[in-house]
Amino acid sequence: MKRNPITITIGLLLLFIFGLLLIFFQVRTTEVAMVTTFGKPTRPVTEPGAYVKWPWPIQQVYKFDKRIQNFESKFEQVFTADGHSLLIKVYAGWNIAQPQVFFPKFGDSVVRLEEALSGLARSAYSGVVGTHPFSDFISTDEKQLKFEQIEQEVLQRIQKDVQANGYGVEVKFVGIKRIGLPESVTKLVFERMQAERQLQVRQIESAGQREASDIRSAANLASANVLSEADAQATQIRGEGDRLAAASLQVFEQEPELGKFLMQLRALEDFLKERTTLILDTQTFPLNLLNGGPSTAPTAPKISSNTTNE
Amino acid sequence: MSNGIDLLEPRRKATPPSAPTPPEPTEDAGSQALSEALRSSFVIVKIVLVIMVLVFLGSGFFVVQPQEKAVILRLGKPLGKGDNVLLEPGAHWSFPYPIDEVVRIPVGQVQTIQSTVGWYRTTAAMEATGVLPPAPESLNPAQEGYVLTADGNIIHVKGELRYRIAEPGLDYEFAFVNASNAVWNAFNNALIYGSATYTAHDALSRDVSGFKERVRLHLERAIATQKLGIVVDQINLDATAPLKLRAAFAAVSEAEARRGKTLLDARSAANQTLNQAQSDAVIRIATGESDKTRMVQFVAGESNRFTSLLPEYRKNPELFRNMRRLEAFQKIFTNAQVEKFMVPTREGNPREIRIQLNREPEKLKTLEPPKAEGH
Repeated sequence: MKRNPITITIGLLLLFIFGLLLIFFQVRTTEVAMVTTFGKPTRPVTEPGAYVKWPWPIQQVYKFDKRIQNFESKFEQVFTADGHSLLIKVYAGWNIAQPQVFFPKFGDSVVRLEEALSGLARSAYSGVVGTHPFSDFISTDEKQLKFEQIEQEVLQRIQKDVQANGYGVEVKFVGIKRIGLPESVTKLVFERMQAERQLQVRQIESAGQREASDIRSAANLASANVLSEADAQATQIRGEGDRLAAASLQVFEQEPELGKFLMQLRALEDFLKERTTLILDTQTFPLNLLNGGPSTAPTAPKISSNTTNE
Repeated sequence: MSNGIDLLEPRRKATPPSAPTPPEPTEDAGSQALSEALRSSFVIVKIVLVIMVLVFLGSGFFVVQPQEKAVILRLGKPLGKGDNVLLEPGAHWSFPYPIDEVVRIPVGQVQTIQSTVGWYRTTAAMEATGVLPPAPESLNPAQEGYVLTADGNIIHVKGELRYRIAEPGLDYEFAFVNASNAVWNAFNNALIYGSATYTAHDALSRDVSGFKERVRLHLERAIATQKLGIVVDQINLDATAPLKLRAAFAAVSEAEARRGKTLLDARSAANQTLNQAQSDAVIRIATGESDKTRMVQFVAGESNRFTSLLPEYRKNPELFRNMRRLEAFQKIFTNAQVEKFMVPTREGNPREIRIQLNREPEKLKTLEPPKAEGH
């Protein structure tokens, strides 16, 4: 009889565990559950943890994933307020929030709910898009753009409809996944784009030329300014030189005749340094000697032109 | 008999120093053997039990790898509160399944998703070899992906998003059936949104980084509002013009490049002009300076000469003048290269003498007839 206590203990333990498994059930943090009593939903469980129930067949537990599921609509044509046709596809995140509402309607079928949701979504986005002009979908100015507002309106509309229909689910967010145009329209867009590019090329080229000539003329103006300033400065400097020279010229006042004579001499010498043709008549000193005439005081030679600078 | 027993249980004979019943070996030999066998098998069972308990306890050990964190769900609920929820890398222990569940969260790992909703139809092989598919005349929405830009153009955009799960990562792990799918949709949405706010030209060439930033900001907003629980590491975008319009877009880029070149040329020409003007200005000022110096020196020289000659002149002005004049003539004629020297032939009708000073163009040599010189 030594082994009896051990055997009994083990047996009781196994029985205990088995019993626990029968009456306990666990709800994971990602789940909600619905307890049914004889097939009738009686108790929703939305918090995770361990719970007690009557063993089967009295009570039964249905568990649902309460995590956010992804829903995507078809990519289909809708009309904007100003009559453009647009292809749009939206996605939504939804989850089962109230199992007691969800269960009687859909049982544990997510597929059936998605079918229902798809109908609601279609009416929501076609309705919302119909109240907005095409320009609300695209704009360089984020304040003008109604993109997010449209998403928000679609979300609110779906939420309202889901609420009204009592699906027991919650739609968390809605976003636009694709926007497109009907195929025939894309061809027209291509043609327009082509024309736009050609216009752009011309604009860019003419703008470039204009800017380049602006740059050049600005530089010309600036250099003209620089040069005229320099000229003014040089003139001023020369004037200063003249002023300084004038001071020295006062010396000549002692004998103006001599000054004049010396200046003439200097001028003559300087002048004849250049390549010059002299035409002299024989009366001119000292050539008048050739005539045998009197060697009187020389007269100034005539100096004719033909001063050449190469 | 005893031999037979000995043969049956050779071990027992050696082992039992305290064997209690030597007087009745014949009667209890069989039952004794049975009880011995049972006893030894119970020992084995006990050992197995102990091992099983050890294995049971040991199975609760698990290792969290360096690039992940873990959460223990006890009876379905995360164990711990706040920051304590996350188990750091290392060895940990939990109860086995029905009580505890270990969920590993790859917090540090970079995950990558691709968005191709806006990309043209192509195949992996074509992508790899860089071959472009034939350019369609129009885009069939069922096959071709594209996005609309702010100026109503169509362009193709694809993107790659690298992200990490933000700590504690419970949302990413427990709030979504397929979190990466939700991230993917948010990324697609951001691409559509970004394109809708950028003109084709800006998105493709003029402001590529701004376009990327716009996409990133919108994605961040979606991450916040949808509680995706991720951190964006990097976004790579690739945008291109529709295949049919590539040449047209390239022409615009070329025009811009040409414009850049024109502007560059103009700037360098302008620079040159300005530099030239500045150096000219320096020269002009320097010329002015040298003119000034020359003028001052010349006058100074002349006045010196005047001062030194003045006494001599005052002695006899007439003689002085003649002497100086002669000196000058002498200087002129000796320096001169005389080419023609006309002597008068008739009295009273003086003819002219031509003297050429320095060198002269050759044509003058032909001026033989004296008449020509008269005028």
